[in-house]
Amino acid sequence: MHKRVHNICKNLITMLFKPLHFVKYNSILGLSSILLGLFCNGCALNDRMSTFDYKGPVAKIQYDLFMVTVYVCLILFIIVAAALAWAVIKYRARKGDENKPMPKQGHGNPLIEVGLIGGSILMLVIIAVPTVNAIWYTHQMPKDDQSSHLISWYPNSQDIPSGEEDSVLIIRATGYQWWWTFEYPQFGIRTANEMVIPKGKTVRIELRAADVIHSFWFPKFAGKVDLIPGRNNWMWIQADHEGHYYGQCAEFCGEAHAYMLIRSDVVNEMDFANWVQHQTTPAPLPKERSLASEGKNLFVTKTCVQCHRVDGHGYESLVGPDLSHIASRKSIGAGILENIRDDLGTKDYSGSSKFASAEHMIDPEKLRKNLFEWVRYSQKYKPGNLMYYPANGLRNLDERGDFTDEDVHKIVDYLMTLK
Amino acid sequence: MATTLPIPETTTVLEPQKSDLGWTRPDHRSGIVDWLTTTDHKKIGIMYGCFALFFLIVGGVEALMIRIQLAVPQNSFVSATTYNQLFTMHGTTMIFLAVMPINAAFFNFIMPLQIGARDVAFPRMNTFGLWTLLAGGIILNISWFFQFANAFGWFAPADGRLEIAPAGGWFGYAPLSATQYTGIGTNFWILGLQILGISSLAGSFNFIVTIINMRAPGMKMMRLPVFTWMTLITSFLLIFALPAIAVALAELQFDRYFNTNFFKVEMGGQPILWQHLFWIFGHPEVYILILPTMGIVSEILPTFSKRPLFGYPIIVFSGAVIGFLGFAVWSHHMFATGLGKYATAAFSLLTMAIAVPTGVKIFNWIGTLWGGRITFSIPMIYSLAFVWMFMMGGFSGIMHSSAPADAQQTDSYFVIAHFHYVLIGGALLSIIAGLYYWFPKVTGKMMNLKLGKWYAFLIIAGLNVTFFPMHWLGLNGMPRRTHTYQAGFGWETWNLVCSIGAMVLGIGIFLVVLDVFISARRGKLAAKDPWDGRTLEWTTSNPPPHYNFARTPIVKGKDSFFIHKYGQPKDKIEFEEEDAHGIHMPSNSWMPMISGICFTIFGVALALMPSGVIPGMGWLAVITLVGACIPLFLWALEGPGGYHLHAKKDNNLATNS
Repeated sequence: MHKRVHNICKNLITMLFKPLHFVKYNSILGLSSILLGLFCNGCALNDRMSTFDYKGPVAKIQYDLFMVTVYVCLILFIIVAAALAWAVIKYRARKGDENKPMPKQGHGNPLIEVGLIGGSILMLVIIAVPTVNAIWYTHQMPKDDQSSHLISWYPNSQDIPSGEEDSVLIIRATGYQWWWTFEYPQFGIRTANEMVIPKGKTVRIELRAADVIHSFWFPKFAGKVDLIPGRNNWMWIQADHEGHYYGQCAEFCGEAHAYMLIRSDVVNEMDFANWVQHQTTPAPLPKERSLASEGKNLFVTKTCVQCHRVDGHGYESLVGPDLSHIASRKSIGAGILENIRDDLGTKDYSGSSKFASAEHMIDPEKLRKNLFEWVRYSQKYKPGNLMYYPANGLRNLDERGDFTDEDVHKIVDYLMTLK
Repeated sequence: MATTLPIPETTTVLEPQKSDLGWTRPDHRSGIVDWLTTTDHKKIGIMYGCFALFFLIVGGVEALMIRIQLAVPQNSFVSATTYNQLFTMHGTTMIFLAVMPINAAFFNFIMPLQIGARDVAFPRMNTFGLWTLLAGGIILNISWFFQFANAFGWFAPADGRLEIAPAGGWFGYAPLSATQYTGIGTNFWILGLQILGISSLAGSFNFIVTIINMRAPGMKMMRLPVFTWMTLITSFLLIFALPAIAVALAELQFDRYFNTNFFKVEMGGQPILWQHLFWIFGHPEVYILILPTMGIVSEILPTFSKRPLFGYPIIVFSGAVIGFLGFAVWSHHMFATGLGKYATAAFSLLTMAIAVPTGVKIFNWIGTLWGGRITFSIPMIYSLAFVWMFMMGGFSGIMHSSAPADAQQTDSYFVIAHFHYVLIGGALLSIIAGLYYWFPKVTGKMMNLKLGKWYAFLIIAGLNVTFFPMHWLGLNGMPRRTHTYQAGFGWETWNLVCSIGAMVLGIGIFLVVLDVFISARRGKLAAKDPWDGRTLEWTTSNPPPHYNFARTPIVKGKDSFFIHKYGQPKDKIEFEEEDAHGIHMPSNSWMPMISGICFTIFGVALALMPSGVIPGMGWLAVITLVGACIPLFLWALEGPGGYHLHAKKDNNLATNS
């Protein structure tokens, strides 16, 4: 619908400007059509984080409500601005006015005032009613439509708590300075910075903060809800189209707030079942006497292990991001370094099933390079982050004397096995 | 008629009496001593104005640095921490050190003249307000110098944190403002704001008492010029709003200095408490910024359309309603914090309600123009632009009031667009209108009206080019307060456009400020009543004499000077007879300035204390706090003092007609 409107606008502009090309001032026209073209090109309605390109019911009701406010305000604006323009043009001082008597010194008209006040209240009611309706809609956890059952995703059906078979999917999102943890308590899954949700399933996201206030924002799923230390906030979303989605922390949370990004994959039911299976199965241990195995030792001796968890490898610290399946993620460092294949371009990956699968999108060479860059120079990519070498402030790990490029490559070899 | 009493042709000035302390207070000095000790509301107003314009430029430079950084994706013009400091200080400076002081400058200079008073009720308290304002400004901004010192390796705080200039945002949300997340910059921010609060409170009480008690005879409340009305309402708002932030800042300071647990969640504190306290101040603060400027526009529109303000009582009443409702909508800044559906709905609807009195004002301004004879002088151009731009900001405000829609907009660039339309398109444009309008009153000269048109074009065009695309950026998903952004999100083009617009806007504002200082020296001499003014301030000479009115005017109606010029004979302004001893003038005093200097040292010392770099800062803070209080006692002991003066000539009831 919006794309159609967009195209109609584009055509209209070309139609308007074509016959005017012969005009003497065509350079000015050319310039303005360039500007208009710029405007149209700069205003794609399906950018990665566009609120216009809603992909679920919550974002849709918020968008619809926004459009109601736009129309009401636009009508009011046109009326009031026209009155203002009319008054300014009609009653401007003209030559010879000095000799005329002073304008009437009236002090107002109560009837007009009451009418205008009544009119504005009426216009506000047009906004108020759908507003209250939408507040209730977004704050009320909907009953699941039962089109998909949790039961189909549990790796072992006997794990399902009784009575929970049809409940909504729960994801617990925790915000840290400047990354995220996602837990799926119903499946015992723990991952970082990228969440995977099944298409069309109602998801309840429980929002927790570990340090300061953050805000959870996937514009295509829903508006923001804050993660506040000590408060148990929640929101519900539902994603109706498969694809790879972009989000970001929207509450100022310190130095690298700009780099606290989130990603999400929306997959179909079958893929979600596979994903659950994959996440609940630890990555295999690296072969003995391989580079990866040496990397695994370095992972311990160079103290990575003090913060990071790798499921099934005996590393259980929950201080930093969970690395259990890091090699199957589409970005490193909470969205900073993307592992997505170059030939896919930098476009919007939402709304298309082909962008949902990790195997299709990830470029292993890019992943390897990004892992190296991140471990070596994390301060460069995310200033102030806590994976640092503490010497006179926060330093990149490359300033640590006992840590060579070779070591880092070996650690990356190990991380690459955590598929 | 009372005007028949002859006025002595000579000025007789008596030496001030010795104060109760046995000192002679510094009266009749010339030059710098006079300015430092003055109790004259006009000189204080001028100093407020210069101070505010200076910080307008400082805040503007910070804004331009922000825009340079954001012009292209992944820019490295400034570091992340520096960027956070820039937007924190940009917001704090513009609100507390530019717009509020310049409003206070207008209050000080214009309001007593508009009500026919010789000075404000408490002249020394007025001076005190000026020096504490300066103290707060210095405390906030001196942090930059310590930041530079750190860059040169001369200053390294013990906690190792590099946020030496404030970096927690102008809103200072807990727990990011706690010691483990931000450095001593937050201390500078707390103390600067706290002391600025003292300044605003002193000023507000003074203005309220002045307006209620010192009106000329016949100047009934419903005859007050609207600007004076807005001064009164704003002062009440400040008095009710500032205690909330004073409490919040004190609690935060206790958390940081004495390890209390107001906002520490690990000890059972509540970070959300900060947001409620901050916004119950912060939302009325918005009206504290905008109501005075609505008052300015309500003066200028009638003057240049030669019509009285349409619906004067309703404009006044709307101002009061806005002020009142302003205290009932604070949580609309917190729609994303999980208020629950009932609170969200209540605050959503109350926020919509505020659109009604605001809309009424706009209708009445248009009603004022309707049927008038409009001349497009520079103050009028800015005022008309104000109405237009403020309307745009108001409409995006209505969009925010709808909570579910706001969930997408809040903390995005859409909000930045909204409040810059309100604060630049609204407050700043009318402040510039006020500058042009009252400049002849303040200096006796005219600003450059020919170039002024070009400056107005630069500012209005720059404003729209900068901030209109931000609506789009916000809806396209760009969050606020990010020091950079990645390419590929559709944000590149419009950020570049915004940055170019910001440069144009910055140049425009800089040229206006430059023109203020150039015209003050070399401007054309102003006519006696250059705009055919309507209110009492235009009955005095340009600039007005020290004593404002040789004899107190007796006011006969609304728009008293206008009806004096064009109305019936019964509307002519009359004058009270002169007292036999002449005009009683207040003495100057050193005390407010000494107190202000002590406050400055106190704030800086206390902010530096936790850094542990310079020893003895705690003791210095204690000593200077005592030092800041002693002058207040001494000032009480100074006694009223004062002297008498016989005015040389009568009021200048000039008419151009």
